[in-house]
Amino acid sequence: MSNSVVHLEHLTKQYIKSSKPAVSNVTLEIPEGAVFGLLGPNGAGKSTTVMLLCGLMRPDSGSVSVMGLNVLEHGAVLRKQIGVAPQEIALFPSLTAFENLFYFGRMYGLGADFIREQIKKYLKVFGLTEKAKKPVHTFSGGMKKRLNLIAALLHQPKLVILDEPTTGVDVQTRNMILDFLRELKGQGTTIIYSSHILEEAERICSHLGIIDEGRLIIAGTQSSVMEKHPDCQNLEQLFLKLTGKNIRD
Amino acid sequence: MKILATIYKELLLLIRDPGGMALIFIMPLALVIVMALVQDAPFRDYQEIQLEVLFVDQDADSLSAKVKEAFEASPNVNLITKTDTAEAKKLVQAGEFKAAIIIPEHASETLRRKTRQLISTVFSNFGLPADRTDSAVLPVIELKIFFDPAIKANYQQTLSNAIEKIIANVQTSWVLDELQNQLSEGNAEAQKTDFDLSQIIHVSQRYASENKYQGLMLNSVQHNVPAWTMFAMFFILYPLAGNFIKEREEGSMLRLRLISGSQLPVIAGKFAFYFIVCLTQFLMMIAVGIFVMPHLGLSKLVLGGNAVLIFLTASCVAMAATGYGVLIAVYFRTAHQALSFGSVSVVILSAIGGVWVPVYVMPEILQTLSRFSPMSWGLESFNDLFLRQASIHTILPNVLRLLGFALVTVSASVIIHHSRTVV
Repeated sequence: MSNSVVHLEHLTKQYIKSSKPAVSNVTLEIPEGAVFGLLGPNGAGKSTTVMLLCGLMRPDSGSVSVMGLNVLEHGAVLRKQIGVAPQEIALFPSLTAFENLFYFGRMYGLGADFIREQIKKYLKVFGLTEKAKKPVHTFSGGMKKRLNLIAALLHQPKLVILDEPTTGVDVQTRNMILDFLRELKGQGTTIIYSSHILEEAERICSHLGIIDEGRLIIAGTQSSVMEKHPDCQNLEQLFLKLTGKNIRD
Repeated sequence: MKILATIYKELLLLIRDPGGMALIFIMPLALVIVMALVQDAPFRDYQEIQLEVLFVDQDADSLSAKVKEAFEASPNVNLITKTDTAEAKKLVQAGEFKAAIIIPEHASETLRRKTRQLISTVFSNFGLPADRTDSAVLPVIELKIFFDPAIKANYQQTLSNAIEKIIANVQTSWVLDELQNQLSEGNAEAQKTDFDLSQIIHVSQRYASENKYQGLMLNSVQHNVPAWTMFAMFFILYPLAGNFIKEREEGSMLRLRLISGSQLPVIAGKFAFYFIVCLTQFLMMIAVGIFVMPHLGLSKLVLGGNAVLIFLTASCVAMAATGYGVLIAVYFRTAHQALSFGSVSVVILSAIGGVWVPVYVMPEILQTLSRFSPMSWGLESFNDLFLRQASIHTILPNVLRLLGFALVTVSASVIIHHSRTVV
């Protein structure tokens, strides 16, 4: 696919102390401007895939290219085009919202004025303007999630990777985040969205990939994936059909 | 830019952490003041301490008068006269006094007679006219000193030496006197001379220091200020490793890796910040030594004359301390492991490095071990600069050791960190 932003080719990664590969022979393309739902049960290999995608891990075999460039060879350049919001609140609790964002902006190598503009813009979008000078440890869980997301967007990345962005937040915050993601998609940004909340993925993802035990079971546009399993009424049924009902830890 | 941003971020984190601030700045100041006060007495030797000594004068003659006169002239001994030997012994035994000097009955008279007999024997042996009227066998004069069993060995030695010296002087003086008496026997015109024995030979004691630093010696302040400053600088690992591991556990370290790939700017920023903190600690502790210690009845810290070399040494200690902190932070996976190992290791390094007590009073095996402690290298360099006005050539080996230690710890940290993050 010529307009793919992410291209994984026969990607395999096995951890030294593990008996099974965390990611096994995964081949995947994510087109530009897609919201790609990377779905899978706990321990399925989603986080390892994301780490490989960002060039923070070396695959045992296969290759990863983002925007046509190999991530291991052009990691430094590519990371400036990728924004990652990890599931953990990766912020400094005793710093204010502004100080956190300004520091991360600086670490992206951005200029002070540009960072201030971006902070102002996103704090307004996510309703945190009045909290700019408050230390993060005083924030609610939802406010921290929003700030965590802003930190991944400051440098205007072309590819945004979100790991469970709405877990543990109230309905209003979830709604705000999902609205924003739609707006981001409208601007042409490619989004990789990892979540357990399948109803949410169904609402916003144009493309889906279900991964289990390191293997990509199914991938494609949401409609094409659903069409392959006409017996499934919704994504949750499809997910359970493909990954089984056994509890994963 | 990224390093400066990290330094500023670390500054913000520190100033918003009252516990960390106290650990870095308040605790070391309290520690250095308390340790300087506690160790002040042990550092003072006999010349600086005033010992209360009982004096039982059963002689009541010239010998006891000479002993009394000599001790009363000494600023370090306070003689308290008693009449009863048994009571004096009991008081010393009870630890109320450090020692009791007992001058026995007829000590002066016996010494005079023994001296006369000695001179007479010498004259007689050389065929000279001698006074042979007193041929009685006289007992040995036995001066007694009772010591408190808890007295420090050097005080005991010094007190005994002082008494022996006084008696030797009296004896010499009386020998000369008797010599003149017997030589002038039958010569009415012969004139006796009073010799001042101190004019014959004099032992001059000086420290091998520059003139303006004469009298400066290793005292509690000169030892404790640089020693505990280094301890505090090495203890920087506590906030450094604590914050580092916390950031790793909370995920902000991962975000920084996702941002820049390399964590070099983050580690370099942290290193630079804590290096500056170490130097700030050094300046504060030195300021306490100069401006606060004298108000507490202690000596003022004297720095010697070479500020550039002091700064160089302090910088190398700061680099070694920060490097060690980074290594501990990177190597250990949990804060509990890092902080437990880190703090115990700093205490051990400080103990063998001569922070608690000077290296020269340690057993030989510890003196050998101390050569491997970076705190010993730093302390030795500071002593060289403060007390001996040393040149760069003198301190260079230790400064290079400190730099080498910093390089090794930082390099090891980078290798370990790289091996764990690039999988």
